[in-house]
Amino acid sequence: MTDISLEKEQKIADELERTFPNLTARVRRARRVMASLEKELIPSVLVHAKDNLGFHHLSHMSVVDWIEDEHFEMVYTLWNHEKRVQLTIKTMISRDNATMANIDTIWRQANTYQREMREMFGIEFPGFVGEKDFLLEDWDEMPPMRRDFDTMEYANKTYFSRPGREDAQDVRDTISKRNGEEVPDFAKKYSREK
Amino acid sequence: MREKATTLYLGPQHPGITGNMMVKLKVEGDTIQSASTHVGYLHRGFEKLMERRNWLQSFTILCRICVPEPDPNEENFARAVESIEGREVPERAKWIRAMVLELARIGTYLLWFAGQSGSAGLYTMGQWSIGDRDYILDLFEELTGGRIYHMYIWPGGVRRDLPKGFKDKVLQTMDYLEKRLVQYDKLMFDNTIFQKRAKGIGWIDPAKAIEWGVVGAPLRAAGIASDVRKDDPYEIYDKLDFELGHATTSDVWGRSQVRRFEIEQSINMVRQIMDKMPEGEYYNRIPNPMKWEVPPGEAYVKTESARGEFGFYVVSDGSNKPRRVHVKGPAYVHAVTLLEDLLKGANISDVSFIMNSLGTCPPEIER
Repeated sequence: MTDISLEKEQKIADELERTFPNLTARVRRARRVMASLEKELIPSVLVHAKDNLGFHHLSHMSVVDWIEDEHFEMVYTLWNHEKRVQLTIKTMISRDNATMANIDTIWRQANTYQREMREMFGIEFPGFVGEKDFLLEDWDEMPPMRRDFDTMEYANKTYFSRPGREDAQDVRDTISKRNGEEVPDFAKKYSREK
Repeated sequence: MREKATTLYLGPQHPGITGNMMVKLKVEGDTIQSASTHVGYLHRGFEKLMERRNWLQSFTILCRICVPEPDPNEENFARAVESIEGREVPERAKWIRAMVLELARIGTYLLWFAGQSGSAGLYTMGQWSIGDRDYILDLFEELTGGRIYHMYIWPGGVRRDLPKGFKDKVLQTMDYLEKRLVQYDKLMFDNTIFQKRAKGIGWIDPAKAIEWGVVGAPLRAAGIASDVRKDDPYEIYDKLDFELGHATTSDVWGRSQVRRFEIEQSINMVRQIMDKMPEGEYYNRIPNPMKWEVPPGEAYVKTESARGEFGFYVVSDGSNKPRRVHVKGPAYVHAVTLLEDLLKGANISDVSFIMNSLGTCPPEIER
């Protein structure tokens, strides 16, 4: 394998650590830098990365639910078009009363991501203006992307099974019994009732 | 006299758009004062469902995230898993993947031709290009067994090798499509109606394009040469010779020209791939999928889909199921914040036209 110089990536990592002493940055591989820090500094680091380091493009913004440790991990992925480097910035926030700084004043497309996070994970962004409903409508249960939301329990509670499907019978057999139709030979071999 | 403003709910069906979403417009006369995108018709909870399925079972779901172009989803997820696990992919599999992605790009552009021209009233073009797209789907059917959803690219390589005589069929199809482009030019790009409709419509400020999250053909049409295949090459794209589409008008016309040029490039790339593809293994076998545990880790991977940068953020906690899969398609930005902005001051009749030019795909917004 050829030796790829990681000079530009290391420069970015060093610069970030110099500017923000509480931040830890490392180069993962060519074109990939990762930084982690506490949540209060996130807006400052994002503004610095955008205005001074050339990370103009917000590639992605995500959240991971680490329910065992009782926190959410916020992940911001930025891209520098000129240097062709991806910077991932991460921070942990508490799962109880989860709040995070609103960044749609830095990148306005963050508005959409934050609407989804609010709806799906229950994370609040103080000062954030965006319509409440995004993908769901009139939802008053637990935010559904949280790990403790049980999809099966919700489905059983909310929906009912179509008659003939309660005991996972083969639908072809049910229809044939109901209507007196013969199941064709080619379909019989897939039937659960041998 | 000032005209009274009214609210117009446009959609959820739109000509040429695969999927449903509604645009709520405030209009005065037929001029739009403000617009807001309303989604929620297609939320299938794929990301949540994947957390309850093992790594391989997720493939049956994720190809359905975007209907017109499912292959970047498969490739992204496979590459994310490979990156977390450190699994090597045989060289031949990488070439086959690139071939599938480029064929998918041509197919998606042909479908886009139909939407873009159809929303300008040129219906013949759509009938031709969708008919021609079927030749690409025929190739996919022979290669993967499925016309639309392939589940062909998976961790460790691809599901099967190229069938006998496949190379010739691909090359014949490329020759045919290349000849058809001349007809498309006559029908669509040389057509005064299309030119008048497309020029100056849906203008994106090039100085703001990157900051606003514009990707793909709309960004290249704003004069910014950006493409994941060049900027952050994956698979074997660094071994292919190709150019990016370029325009400076930053309107629907510019975006159309970029896409038209890139079909030619993709045809050329498929030929290069068929010529250079090495022999050898196509699959680095994974363990028993029911017991396959991927070590803890995370990856954000992206491909250049026909609509622009398509990203997957995948996290593993060391179990046999993904901890988190987060999908970001270009439409997540294009069809929401960007579209809302571009529609201000536009005419009602241009809404579908602008939506098509941005590569709007509602299923990937909602997933």
